[in-house]
Amino acid sequence: VPDERSAPYWEAAARHVLVVARCARCGNLAHPPADVCPHCRSTEPGFAWEPVSGRGTVRSWTVMHQSSLPGFDADLPFVLVDVELVEQPELRLIGRLVDGAGAPLRAGAPVTVAFEDLGDGVSVPAFALEAGA
Amino acid sequence: MAGFRARGGVAIVGYAQSPIQRHAPVTLGTLAVDTARRAIGDAGLAVADVDGFVTGALFPTAGAHAVEDGISIVSSNWLADRLGTNPRYAAGFQGFGQVPGAVALAVNAIASGAADYVLVHRALHNPVGSYHANPMRRAAGAQQWTAPQGYFGPLAMIALPYNEYLQRYGARRDTMAKVVVEARKNGAQVPWSYWHGKPFTVDQYLAAPMIDDPICRYDCDIPVDGVAAFVFTSAERARDLPHRPVYVLGYGFGSPTTHRLPLHWPLDDIMSTGTETARRLWEATGLRPGDVDLPQVYDGFSPFVYFWLEVLGFCPVGEAHRLVDEGGIDSDRPGALPVLSGGGALGNGRMHGVPQMLECYLQLSRRAGERQRERATIGVACHSSPHFGGAVAYSAEPPGAA
Repeated sequence: VPDERSAPYWEAAARHVLVVARCARCGNLAHPPADVCPHCRSTEPGFAWEPVSGRGTVRSWTVMHQSSLPGFDADLPFVLVDVELVEQPELRLIGRLVDGAGAPLRAGAPVTVAFEDLGDGVSVPAFALEAGA
Repeated sequence: MAGFRARGGVAIVGYAQSPIQRHAPVTLGTLAVDTARRAIGDAGLAVADVDGFVTGALFPTAGAHAVEDGISIVSSNWLADRLGTNPRYAAGFQGFGQVPGAVALAVNAIASGAADYVLVHRALHNPVGSYHANPMRRAAGAQQWTAPQGYFGPLAMIALPYNEYLQRYGARRDTMAKVVVEARKNGAQVPWSYWHGKPFTVDQYLAAPMIDDPICRYDCDIPVDGVAAFVFTSAERARDLPHRPVYVLGYGFGSPTTHRLPLHWPLDDIMSTGTETARRLWEATGLRPGDVDLPQVYDGFSPFVYFWLEVLGFCPVGEAHRLVDEGGIDSDRPGALPVLSGGGALGNGRMHGVPQMLECYLQLSRRAGERQRERATIGVACHSSPHFGGAVAYSAEPPGAA
């Protein structure tokens, strides 16, 4: 459920654009944005959402065979990837891998953002292996 | 901190451990009151002597269970109230690593004179139904960044850094079977353990289906109802009490500063903050890894065993899986590190860091009975992930006696 802070993120996702918040004080990206900038510790970070390339590398992954949340059982098994975006070291997002549970994965594999449309104008950022990776 | 000023000045003088069951026949609060009374009696004291109560009360579930004092948690204040006493000092540790955290509060209270006799307890509850299942249909607040993706709960949380470890160091998942078998072998000898008399085999481990690959059900401790309680006092007062005191030499804690998504625990965070926590422990206590006879590492999730072994310096980073594979943690093998000799969480049930602490206490006070080990002077009890938790060092000898 989007709130005041996250609404732009989900609006952009609905348009299939991945955005990340940048601190107006120190210029670093932070995901998710917080009351205090995790980089410069400013209490007035003035985070502004901006599009990012959506490209990154896989740092780790897990194949989910069971989910504690409702709504995921029909999708099992699915892969979650821990992705470091190219824009900034240690800027890491977790998302589903759209290539499926059998996809060949390795640490460092390049991926790019993809979007899964859930209907009602909601899209969730996910990742896809880059061709030839 | 150049050495912990209260080093050796505070000791454990008694304990009690309830049976560890899937679902206790009485409420958690009732179990806590009975266990607290037994611990106080074991220390040769009366309830009225105890003027400090400390715990870490967290109910570690991702599920939608209600948290109710006396039912799903037991706070220090609740316990003192039900015991009919008005302590000078009652406190709760709010971080991760609740067991060493509560010990640290107790030690500080006694060393400062805020209390003379402190009861440290840990009560853990297993609610009826699934421990972590959450019926949420709408992900709000912090959950909105990860739940819509299906990233939820502690199993996925530990699967990511564990897979990073496997990939980075070429470790094999099969090796972890030896960790679980070791924990269950020792837990099978512990009378109050849920797994008492139920050892485990490598084949059972390998046959288990994946939950969040590379994590299977046996990589996680089983949720239980159980309470443990320990009585602490000054080394000076401990001399007048019936049991051989076990002295606290110091502790180390830490927490990461890198900004992450909820429950996102990258391996580098675990190792860098964990390494600093270990450094703080060695600095506070003046110990080195080689001084420790009983390094009781935390194993609520099996990969923590590798991580703790490495951050504490019992083997080089990336080598713990090899150490395990070569029998290096077999507590029956001379020269090996008995890191799960008390059975740990995997061999007892989800008692958090209690089995680690209890094993240090029982062995160092020479109260381990048939399980008593010959070489047991210095112990270290760890709890939680190395980057959020803590570790306490214990000694069978008063400071300066070595």
